[in-house]
Amino acid sequence: MQITSFSFFLFLIAVLALYYLVPRRFQWGVLLLASLVFSLSQGAKQMIFLGFTALSVYAGARRIQALSDAEKEKRAKTSFSAEEKKGYKQAGKRRRKRVMLLVLLSNLLLLLVFKYLGFFMDQVNLVAGFLTGSPVLGRVSLLAPLGISFYTFQMIGYLVSVYWGNIRAERSFFRLLLFCSFFPQITQGPISEFSDLSGQLFAEHSLKEADFFPGAERLLWGFFKKMVVADALAPCVQDVFANYAQYAAPTVLIGAFLYSVQIYADFSGYMDIMCGLCRMMGIRLTENFTRPYFSKSIAEYWRRWHISLGAWFKRYVYYPVGISRWNRNLGKWAKRRFGQRLGDTIPATVALTVVWLATGLWHGASWAYIIWGLVNGLFIILSLWLEPIYAKGRSFFHVQEHPKIWRLFQVLRTFFLVTLIKVLPEVGSLRDGFGLVGRIFSGPMLVHSLQGLLPFVEWGVLTRILFFLAACLGTLCMLLHSLAQARGWHARHSGRRARFLRVLRCCILAFLILTFGVQNSWGGGGFLYAQF
Amino acid sequence: MDELLEILLDIDPDVDYETAEDLIDGKLLNSLSILQLIAEICDHFDIEISPKWMRNENFNSARKIWEMIQAIQEED
Repeated sequence: MQITSFSFFLFLIAVLALYYLVPRRFQWGVLLLASLVFSLSQGAKQMIFLGFTALSVYAGARRIQALSDAEKEKRAKTSFSAEEKKGYKQAGKRRRKRVMLLVLLSNLLLLLVFKYLGFFMDQVNLVAGFLTGSPVLGRVSLLAPLGISFYTFQMIGYLVSVYWGNIRAERSFFRLLLFCSFFPQITQGPISEFSDLSGQLFAEHSLKEADFFPGAERLLWGFFKKMVVADALAPCVQDVFANYAQYAAPTVLIGAFLYSVQIYADFSGYMDIMCGLCRMMGIRLTENFTRPYFSKSIAEYWRRWHISLGAWFKRYVYYPVGISRWNRNLGKWAKRRFGQRLGDTIPATVALTVVWLATGLWHGASWAYIIWGLVNGLFIILSLWLEPIYAKGRSFFHVQEHPKIWRLFQVLRTFFLVTLIKVLPEVGSLRDGFGLVGRIFSGPMLVHSLQGLLPFVEWGVLTRILFFLAACLGTLCMLLHSLAQARGWHARHSGRRARFLRVLRCCILAFLILTFGVQNSWGGGGFLYAQF
Repeated sequence: MDELLEILLDIDPDVDYETAEDLIDGKLLNSLSILQLIAEICDHFDIEISPKWMRNENFNSARKIWEMIQAIQEED
């Protein structure tokens, strides 16, 4: 079931109607039923793998909880010496760790097989071909279950949180199945924490105007971003990616910028649709974006783009690696050998390298994504290492942090850099990615006409020109919307005036979606992040 | 507590740690300075901080960090 299809539209209406018609204690049951129907519409294979993840994590978490409870009970009832107590605790921890690792590794193995087996075999064949002249393994191409990277990470987060003792294991399998399969987030996240989402999923919600109508407006805004902007820009971007070697530098640069707009409109559009829908049901999903293109550095950009993935990596990879004993010892050694600054920076550098390697791999099984992840990490690590030099430079040149012009420069610089990094894995091969970036700096700079500057627009077809113009105006609307959000303009009206303005905005959005969006993407137009 | 305040002041002497209640939310401590802080706390108080303690609410004020250290010592 495509999100931008008439069948999904009917599905939404049915879910909303049923959600508010059934007795409130059954509302979470409606969400579970809807999630299972949605997963089933993606194929039976989807259900099998989803079921395996939910069942294995449920059983693992319950076992960990049972071991932990039994251990606490025995400790309370028995009088241990300090030594015995420590030994008993360590033995208990080992038992819980074994269960956690068994479940975690079996789920990661599933993810590895579906996402990375083909890539791994290609590398083996490459080496074998180099050494012996012929590949040793056959080609394998498995179609990964939709959203496997998202729901596997979410469930691993739940399992590890139970293991750490931060939350108690959920007693009901069907409630955990809902957390695992919740249809608004299964294909593209956000990757939620159980403690953030579960209370809302299982609570009883009455129909509230203050949630329903803002939710509906956000849902329409999301469809607008996806259908009027992202899907209209997609063919233009693909044209530039395919023919960059023939195009002038300004055209390639515009194509790269359009890709940045397309992927933002696509991914944040999806989030707006799903956050809007959830709000209509009284549920607040974790936000995944806070105006990322207004960031002043790449590190800040990654705190504002795909926030839930960044938070997951920070919690389950960055901190465990960063505070591990071996990494701290490495920091101490560096401090003795190279001084305080390096001693403080090296543990973070190691943790960031692991995080960005994993982030690259999470996005795709290819060298292009691995390099993309490491390039992002390199910029963040460099900024960490060079911060004292930046500080001296700012002081020497009397650069103040706060003037608007300096902040604008930082924002534009970050957007430019982020765009160059973003296109690397998307052009086709890594070579093409670097080729496209190189063309921006080395291609011909002069273009003599608008048609020459924008050759990807079908200038002979009036409707195509209008659709492209609508996408450009949509981009401008997105920029203004972000500015309005940043300055709190949207909150200035209240009462009847606010209601009237909301209805007006919804009507305009619906009109634009029906006029431009339907032709762009109705029944097709998958989401870019669904591939991850 | 005084020892903890000294560690915090070594990381950033410009912050008033006795009153600040938003060290994480106000971005006074970032993910680099938290790693520095953990390394110093582990050395000074001879404890191991497991990742389960790495939650924003445990680091938002000196008092919260102190409570966390005491909880870990009690647990050990």
